[in-house]
Amino acid sequence: MLMILSLVAVSASAEPAASTGSPNIVLILADDLGFTDLGAYGSEMNTPTLDALARDGLLFANHHTPASCAPSRAMLLTGVDSHRAGVPNIPEMIPPDQKDQAHYQGVLGRNVVTLATLLQDRGYHTYIAGKWHLGSRPGELPSQRGFERTFILADSGADNWEQKPYLPIYEKANWFSDGQEAELPEDFYSSTFLTDQTIDFIQSQRSDGRPFFAYLPFQAVHIPVQAPQEFIDRYDGVYDVGWDSIREARHREAQRLGVIPAESQRVRMATTEDWDALTPEDQRYQAKRMAVYAGMVEAMDFNIGRLIDYLKQAGLYENTIIFFTSDNGAEASGQPNQGNLPSRLAASAQGYRTDYEDLGLKGSFNAIPPSFASAAVSPLAYYKFYAGEGGMRVPLIISGEPLDWQGQTTHAFTYVSDLAPTILELTGTPAPGRYRGGRAVEPMQGRSVMPLVSNPSGEVHPSDESIGYELAGNAALFRGNYKIVFNRGPIGDDRWHLYNIAMDPGETLDLAAREPALFQEMLGEYERYVVANQVLPVPADYDARVQVILNGLHARGAKAVLLGVLLFALTLPFLLFHRARNKSGQSGPAA
Amino acid sequence: MNRALQILIGLSGLLFLVMGLRWAVDPSGAAEGLGMPLMTGLAQSSQVGDVGGLFLSLGLMILFALVSGRAIWFQAAALLLLNIAIFRLLAWSLHGAALAAQMIGVEIVIALLLTGGARRLSEDA
Repeated sequence: MLMILSLVAVSASAEPAASTGSPNIVLILADDLGFTDLGAYGSEMNTPTLDALARDGLLFANHHTPASCAPSRAMLLTGVDSHRAGVPNIPEMIPPDQKDQAHYQGVLGRNVVTLATLLQDRGYHTYIAGKWHLGSRPGELPSQRGFERTFILADSGADNWEQKPYLPIYEKANWFSDGQEAELPEDFYSSTFLTDQTIDFIQSQRSDGRPFFAYLPFQAVHIPVQAPQEFIDRYDGVYDVGWDSIREARHREAQRLGVIPAESQRVRMATTEDWDALTPEDQRYQAKRMAVYAGMVEAMDFNIGRLIDYLKQAGLYENTIIFFTSDNGAEASGQPNQGNLPSRLAASAQGYRTDYEDLGLKGSFNAIPPSFASAAVSPLAYYKFYAGEGGMRVPLIISGEPLDWQGQTTHAFTYVSDLAPTILELTGTPAPGRYRGGRAVEPMQGRSVMPLVSNPSGEVHPSDESIGYELAGNAALFRGNYKIVFNRGPIGDDRWHLYNIAMDPGETLDLAAREPALFQEMLGEYERYVVANQVLPVPADYDARVQVILNGLHARGAKAVLLGVLLFALTLPFLLFHRARNKSGQSGPAA
Repeated sequence: MNRALQILIGLSGLLFLVMGLRWAVDPSGAAEGLGMPLMTGLAQSSQVGDVGGLFLSLGLMILFALVSGRAIWFQAAALLLLNIAIFRLLAWSLHGAALAAQMIGVEIVIALLLTGGARRLSEDA
């Protein structure tokens, strides 16, 4: 405690340039990691490195984030609501009606200042190795947003074994190194490579003694779910018990660990299939899909361990604070029958196989189905893209020797926009005001979690503060222990509900009828949030998955149309000449 | 017979036109289609200029050949394709490049078609 206060005091009173005493910051972001996917949160998966960080740090049991990656990343790096930051949705999912608006481009706006810019100005080295997904054109890459050294993926995801797009909407996997298009090495595996890059960045400039901010947004465990064989093998047979058993076991373990209340309940999602109705062969295949997922999580944990070992060997660990979190809940986009003929043909069109034997290896496509995604977020309802807790509540661990949180758990509500102000406070960096460099910018909206230093059982946000949220038509508003939530059909019911998420994180008991005054008051607060943040409605027939396909066709189709027009323009003179020649030949005098 | 030859040669001409135009419209996709990364800076300028210009010229030569009926256009296009195939073989045998057997095969077949076209379709024949 005294260490932290003195650290903050030293940082705050320091000159504009950060000194050697300023703490290094490592911000690790998993992709689509479910709420109970770590051992410290109740998982059966082997995550010793992250569990150790939790034992030495503070585990957040009530941390939230937008339910999709780019909005979450925008808020993480700026502390500003995603609608104000220009990323209210991932660009691949924005419908044309919304794309007309400047703040609905899915690209990080120039009206927000990134954490990297602020820390760079403070004298920090700033690095990123991993998924960016906040803009892919020149001027939108992290090299232009405060990061000194970069190796990034600009897309929503990509293959983990080679430079290959995972969806037909991309022509190629768009990797960039220090602002230039980059090629991946032959021996690429995403978690290993990104960790190596981070270590190289830190090592290359450590001699000057300046502190660093290293942002490490892994591809793990985004689709395609892929892992090295040795990690997959460790989960052989583990998931043969099926998704319901895993969801129940994690629920019990999370209760035992004190991550969720002992009396909390859970619902069974309508998308969860009957495990016992599957044939033994199907059960074996489904279990392998989840084993690959677990192997991918463990491979990420292993590589975080390598980074920590390096920091220790380099004598940097003692002055480094590590943040670990996920951008949203587990993704449930895997087809229930990934191994059947239509799914195999679809994968084949993208150059992938889905065979059991090499599932998860190079050339193989894998994703977990909704039934296992529901287990990954146990005991929460819904998953990625939805405003249920399964999409929004994610792990967060803050750890490091400069802090003296020893394995404590906080149940304080926190939001992803709180992390940037927290890092600014830890490094003694002033937050941006309303103007910067003569230009109007959005002030940070999040709150530092540092009050939890003195009191982990305290709160970060006052109980009367309302925090609104909207993404692709799914919406929520948090206030104290309460949350109103709206999930669109067909998986959601297109109705608002009220839950006490402190006591009932599984969102099993709707309190809207019991507490109508609170319900109406929060609905009113949400309407004010919509107006204040210029939230646009989605079209009535909006379907996020269909929109991804349409936007992809539009992006690629535009080039095909241009190509066709040019081809027509080039060949037309030949056709006309040929026709005229034939005509003159026919009308000529007979021999 | 001549009609079939005309159609085959015409289609190959359109194919080369598309390949050439693609370097102008979608250079990264065009590069990927030929098994190469899209380069940057001066290298990109040479890559897009040389390869795009080559394919576009090839397509135009073939269309000129069909429309004008002049053997010289067929022969020029065939010569270009044969040289490309020869240089592919040189790259493989002398410099360790991959043996692009499929591409070499296509180039030789089209060159033979063009040679046949010079004999059967040209007015000089």
